[in-house]
Amino acid sequence: MLDTTHTGAPLVQMRDIRKQFGGVHAVQGVSVDLFPGEVVGVLGHNGAGKSCLMRMLSGAMSLTSGDIVVNGTKVELKTPQDARKYGIETIYQTLALADHLDAAANLFLGRELKTRFGNLDETRMHSEARDALAQLNPNFKNLKDPVASLSGGQRQVIAIARAIYFQAKVLIMDEPTAALGPSETAMVADLTVKLKQEGIGIFLISHDLHDVFDLCDRVMVMNKGCNVGTFKIEDVNKDDILSLIIKGTLPDDWEPRGQNT
Amino acid sequence: MPDTTKKQKLRFLPTGSALHRLSALLTLLLLIGVFAFTSPAFLSVNNGLTVLLQTSVIGLLAIGMTMVIITGGIDLSVGSVLALSGVIAGLLIKAGLPVAPAMVMGVVTGGVCGLMNGLIITKMRITPFVATLGMMMIARGIALQLTGAAPISRLGEAFGWLGNGALFRLVEMQDNGFPRVIFPGIPYPAILLVIMAILGAYLLQRRQIGRHIFSVGSNEEAARLSGVNVDRTNIWAYTASGALAGLAGMVLMSRLVTVQPNEGVMYELDAIAASVIGGASLMGGVGSISGSMIGAFIIGVLRNGLNMAGTSAFIQQIIIGIVVIGAVYIDQIRNRK
Repeated sequence: MLDTTHTGAPLVQMRDIRKQFGGVHAVQGVSVDLFPGEVVGVLGHNGAGKSCLMRMLSGAMSLTSGDIVVNGTKVELKTPQDARKYGIETIYQTLALADHLDAAANLFLGRELKTRFGNLDETRMHSEARDALAQLNPNFKNLKDPVASLSGGQRQVIAIARAIYFQAKVLIMDEPTAALGPSETAMVADLTVKLKQEGIGIFLISHDLHDVFDLCDRVMVMNKGCNVGTFKIEDVNKDDILSLIIKGTLPDDWEPRGQNT
Repeated sequence: MPDTTKKQKLRFLPTGSALHRLSALLTLLLLIGVFAFTSPAFLSVNNGLTVLLQTSVIGLLAIGMTMVIITGGIDLSVGSVLALSGVIAGLLIKAGLPVAPAMVMGVVTGGVCGLMNGLIITKMRITPFVATLGMMMIARGIALQLTGAAPISRLGEAFGWLGNGALFRLVEMQDNGFPRVIFPGIPYPAILLVIMAILGAYLLQRRQIGRHIFSVGSNEEAARLSGVNVDRTNIWAYTASGALAGLAGMVLMSRLVTVQPNEGVMYELDAIAASVIGGASLMGGVGSISGSMIGAFIIGVLRNGLNMAGTSAFIQQIIIGIVVIGAVYIDQIRNRK
């Protein structure tokens, strides 16, 4: 099942990760790895534990047991700051934006640029934000409006800009296109390809199998908190994935499809 | 092209919180106008200074309260903390400490109470309403227990300096032996209020801590995921509120030259009203020091003007209650748009 085509060292290895909430086992002994320039799709129905697993990697949730290894060293990700220190950035499904602040304030939230005297450097933050957002969406103009008044697409662009502005090495995208229209979805797809070429490793959580097959190199399917299979994307088709998501097993007659063609 | 010009034109109109502040300012001017018309003594220099003096205590409390309200919390303990800080300062002076360090200790007492609020809210995960309600009773209880509910007086002339002194005060001795006040001077409490308000606005608008206070009130989970230390930010806000309550206590007790352990009851409500009138949202994420200062002065002018017009204290309460509800209602309409 595990492919050995990758020669480089993995960016991230999650080994035997477990998470328990009281008596509920949300994640049970999941292992997954991510190589530079690779997109790994994380699939599963709601409550399968995929968001939970990713939140542990982004430092937003503590893990009950298991190891996270980044660039060959075992790390403890207790807070989102810890994860960011290792170049792990996350685009959350909820976007995690402060509605009353403007785009620049959100982009630099928690990592504000300061002047020599320790004051907020609004001018620099605004110009940097303008550049960063223009790269993603040239029409982004209303930088000084509170983000509550922006459209879903614009809000998503801010969340994405925030993740990539700080030179992420590992990017976790939790349903990045859920709030987007077709053109913006295409933009996110282009961006994903571009980031991949830059050698960034991406975990993509998505319900959209179309996206997954377009963008991912490998997929990992979770069912009831367990990893029920990690495959190269060529080896599976949509029916196999659906079977894994719903039943937790492959169709009975399955064999790696990539080898047949 | 017409579209862009229209948009540019709209930019000049004040929006959101600026509009609210403007309407609050207009209300304040309107009030001053009405009271000046009804009572000739209202618009005198002396009465103006009295309003400044009376408002400075509420103003100081409102600065801290605004920070707490922006985080999405509330601080019900400031009135009691004000009293406890005064009691501690008074007892230290009685114990032989000079006035200045005793007053510093009073402010520190307020800060410690605020710190306790912050720790209880963040570490014990108790809602701000309940935590500060508890602190309100605890601080008042300690103040009353330490003094046996009796005022501490004869604290010396130096103790009254902060609350009763004034800058640029010009007094001339007349031939008949009576002093004549040429210019009553700018009261120290008013100067202190201006300094603290500017400091507060600077911290909120120009410093990282202010940005974090807004982010925590706007969306606490987003702030946490963005790497903001939410607990530290909350603790900071409550500590600032407590310390400012301590400072307000020093001003108030100094003005009375007596420490009253039962002083400052319900002051928290005036401070909350000032913040809310000034545009702060109890849902968090919105508010400004300048707005709260206008709010504090609306309450101060209203109280003073109604007194001058001979309105009873009970009617005053009713009117202020209506003003608070009205201000929040205007805010609701604004947000619905």
